[in-house]
Order: sequence, then structure tokens, then C-alpha cells
Amino acid sequence: MVEPRRDVLKLCHDWLSVQEVVDAVSSASCGATSLFIGTTREDVLNGRKVIGLEYEAYEPMAQSEFRKLCDVIRERWPSVTHVCVHHRLGWVKVGEASVVMAISSPHRHDGQQAMQQAVEQLKARLPVWKKEVYDSQEASWKENAECPWASNHKQ
Amino acid sequence: MTAQVTVLYFAKSAELSGLKEEELVAVPTPISSQDLWSLLLQRHPRLCVLQHQVVLAVRQQYVAIGDELVALGDGDEVAVVPPLSGG
Repeated sequence: MVEPRRDVLKLCHDWLSVQEVVDAVSSASCGATSLFIGTTREDVLNGRKVIGLEYEAYEPMAQSEFRKLCDVIRERWPSVTHVCVHHRLGWVKVGEASVVMAISSPHRHDGQQAMQQAVEQLKARLPVWKKEVYDSQEASWKENAECPWASNHKQ
Repeated sequence: MTAQVTVLYFAKSAELSGLKEEELVAVPTPISSQDLWSLLLQRHPRLCVLQHQVVLAVRQQYVAIGDELVALGDGDEVAVVPPLSGG
């Protein structure tokens, strides 16, 4: 019997639990859980150190774009069973996870391929923005190279 | 025909316009996304900083700035979408 597939996107202001995301995709039929954790890096730009990131989102559209992303993933890798993404909003300190993504599949090949594509698509299409905040108290909005209308878009 | 729409500003566009959202009354419809963007530029000239690095989202569908006509209805949401940086 095929269990109902789950696609979950949670946007929240709290610290993310990797275990919670992993548990959300667990299934007796799945031998593989693929995981991606995006962590806020302590980067240095022009002598200014990043102290954290400020995230905001167009929340209803993030949900609808996430559903489209999952449809694309499932079309290409039908064996993908569950997908769960938790994404922080608001202030995220350096060293903390901004996003945790988990995909379960019967075997690892599909899950790992699907995860690569899911991260790419999330960065290209999810209406979420982050602002880098520096120790100089300045801030700048970042742009994903995956986003087609970014100035640094890689073709 | 005209429509009353809610415009949402995100990220840099919210900083440039000074707003998170506003109501626009009597927006012509159908309207090209270029004309809709120009209308917003007239109201908030500082948005020009985003020229060529912005799209709109109408009823939660991305629309590139160009000749493409969009049909607007009363109560529709139009979002100004600077380059994305999720993940």
C-alpha cells in the first residue's frame, strides 16, 4: 500500500531542529534520508564581518512555490516519498542553521539527486530574502546566483 | 476597466518605498507589467535602484517586467520581488 506523500514547508522564527525535520520524512518504506543544512557563515566582506542574517518571506507565495518545487521533484524522481523544509525567518546568528531540508526515498540515489535539485530550485524560486548584517552595523540584501533576475545570475 | 489592488513591498523594495504594503485604486486593466512597474516608479521613484533586477508577482505568480499583459481584479495582490536569497 502506498502511503500518502507529504510535502511540508515550515517558516518559523525559532531555532531549527534537524531531528524534527528528519523525523517528519521518516517512513518504513524508505531506506534513505537525504539532508541539507544551510548555516549562516561568518563571512568577511571588505573588512566587515558578518554577524548574522535577517530573513523575510512572502509567506503564502512561499507555500505555493514550494508545492510547485515538490511537483517538479516528484515528476523527475517518482520514488521520492516525503519532503520537509524548515526555514528560519527573522534574525539568524552566525553559526545557526537558516534552513534544514530532508527528503526520504527507498534508495539513496534518487533522494540525493532530488536534494541537489531541491536546493537549487529553492534558491531560484522561493520568495524569501536575506540581509547580511555586519559588525560595522551596515547591512546589504543578498542575491542568489540561482535567481534568474539577480545581477549575479549564472546562466 | 480599472481594479483596486494591494501592492506588497519586500526586502530592498520595502526600504526604498518606505512601505510594506499599500492600496492602489483605479489601476487600468489589463495592463502590461512594464506599465504597472512604471506606475509604481512614479509613486516611489527610489524603486528605480531595482531596475532590471526586479520582477512582480501577481496573484502569487511571477511576472517579468515587459510587454506581457496582466489582468487585474479587485482585491488582487501584486508584489514587488527583488532578487531572491532564500536558503
